[in-house]
Amino acid sequence: MKLSPKYEKAMANMQVGIISAQGFLGDEEINLVDIINRDENEFNKLGLKFDEVAKKLKYLLEKGQKGLGEPITVDERWLVQVYEAKGKMPCPFEDYMAQKSVVTLTDKNTNHKLMYTDLSIHLIEKHHFLEGKGSTFRLEPKILKKILY
Amino acid sequence: MEFIIAPLIISILTGILAAIISITDKIVNNYGEITISINNGKKEIKIDGGENLLTTLSSKEIYLPSACGGRGSCGACKCKVTSDVGEYLPTEIPYLTKEEMKENIRLGCQIKLKKDISIEIPDSLFNVKKYEAVVEKIVDVTHDIKEVLFNLGNEEINFTAGMYMQLCIPPYDKIKNETQRAYSISSKPSDKHHIELLIRLVPGGIATTWVHTYLKEGDKVKLIGPFGEFEATPTNSTMICVAGGSGMAPFKSMLYHMYENNINDREIWYFFGARTKKDLFYLEELAELQEKWPNFHFVPALSEPEGEEWKGESGLITDVLDRYLKTIINSGYKEGYLCGSPGMINACNNVMTANGIKLENIYYDKFA
Ligand code: FES
Ligand SMILES: [Zn+2]
Repeated sequence: MKLSPKYEKAMANMQVGIISAQGFLGDEEINLVDIINRDENEFNKLGLKFDEVAKKLKYLLEKGQKGLGEPITVDERWLVQVYEAKGKMPCPFEDYMAQKSVVTLTDKNTNHKLMYTDLSIHLIEKHHFLEGKGSTFRLEPKILKKILY
Repeated sequence: MEFIIAPLIISILTGILAAIISITDKIVNNYGEITISINNGKKEIKIDGGENLLTTLSSKEIYLPSACGGRGSCGACKCKVTSDVGEYLPTEIPYLTKEEMKENIRLGCQIKLKKDISIEIPDSLFNVKKYEAVVEKIVDVTHDIKEVLFNLGNEEINFTAGMYMQLCIPPYDKIKNETQRAYSISSKPSDKHHIELLIRLVPGGIATTWVHTYLKEGDKVKLIGPFGEFEATPTNSTMICVAGGSGMAPFKSMLYHMYENNINDREIWYFFGARTKKDLFYLEELAELQEKWPNFHFVPALSEPEGEEWKGESGLITDVLDRYLKTIINSGYKEGYLCGSPGMINACNNVMTANGIKLENIYYDKFA
């Protein structure tokens, strides 16, 4: 199936070395819309909602920022560390400028970890995009469910 | 939001188009020889046009700061242009303040050289060189911070304590282009043949991942510098220094430099924040320095000591700082010195100004 111009352009922006050195698609061999559809199905199956997940990740980012760069325990369950750098990064869909922040999140009970950015929150909320499998900041639905809920 | 989105769309489009245009441009257009006049003709460079200002200058060994290697995503390569180079590009606008635009400050990596140009750069940039260094030693000072010592061989470097270097990261794995990142120097200015950096692993970060997983003793690397204006003022006011993690670096350099040069008549308070004991480092060295130097006070603080035996301060570093400024260090003329993330700097600025330290007397690294 041919992609609409919006997705065509976003997918081009997601290649290695365009917006980020590592790109957003990882090792996926299917197109952007198929990636999004597959992950939407997975979210449905797991009973996850994109806006809720985005909200939780944003909440943890904001709480984590209080650690001023050092890890901080949030709600007695998560260990959150936020790394901030100066500069900005555009969304591949060309509708948002993200801060350059990286968050590492550890569930202290299970020691499960995940890693996301300010841009990931926007990509989840606005575009239902979790990045391609094999990408550095790919968010697996199953892991999101385990750590956030 | 519109005002951000519009330039943004153009900015990304221009980014992609730029690549195509620049290739076609090189084939089709020949701008011929152009002159770059620096600081009112103090230095003139004649060179073929067609490339951007940042790259062109570096080919002549004049280095503007850059923390992204010219991708247009760090905003570090600011440079005053005093001749006409056309309107601001959408790729520049997000990084410049209104005041900077009034001053004709531009992003060096975005300015394409098509005709003669006049620029103004700080004289200190003439001291910046590219060094071919060898990694002499790598030490894990914590579970996520490496102390890396580079040997500059016969080359000498002159810098003031507080300045930073740019480390060139070669292509590796899926990363196809060389990139650069800025790190504060932690070694003493008196050691002119070495540079030491403290590099904390940022998960997913290109540069720090390379340092933490690929870099080995004996490797050859390129370093560009020194850059920056962060330094101790030549006054007698009390220095209130705050850092966490690899923010230790410029203070290590400053403290040992001051001690070595008998600049020991001013009071120095150094607040260092970490979460647990395993995130602390240089405790013994700094305690030893404190023994020998009565005006120096080191205050490490743990935000979540987690049942460890810990006799020092506890709490977030900003809370500890606030407590001290209200009780122990509540008189005299004070200056703030900070090294950390934008959020950390913001939070410390708030605590310091609320305790009577003027914003213009608070200094920090602007690249971090
Ligand atoms: S070098 Fe990073 S924006 Fe120009
Ligand atoms: Zn978007």
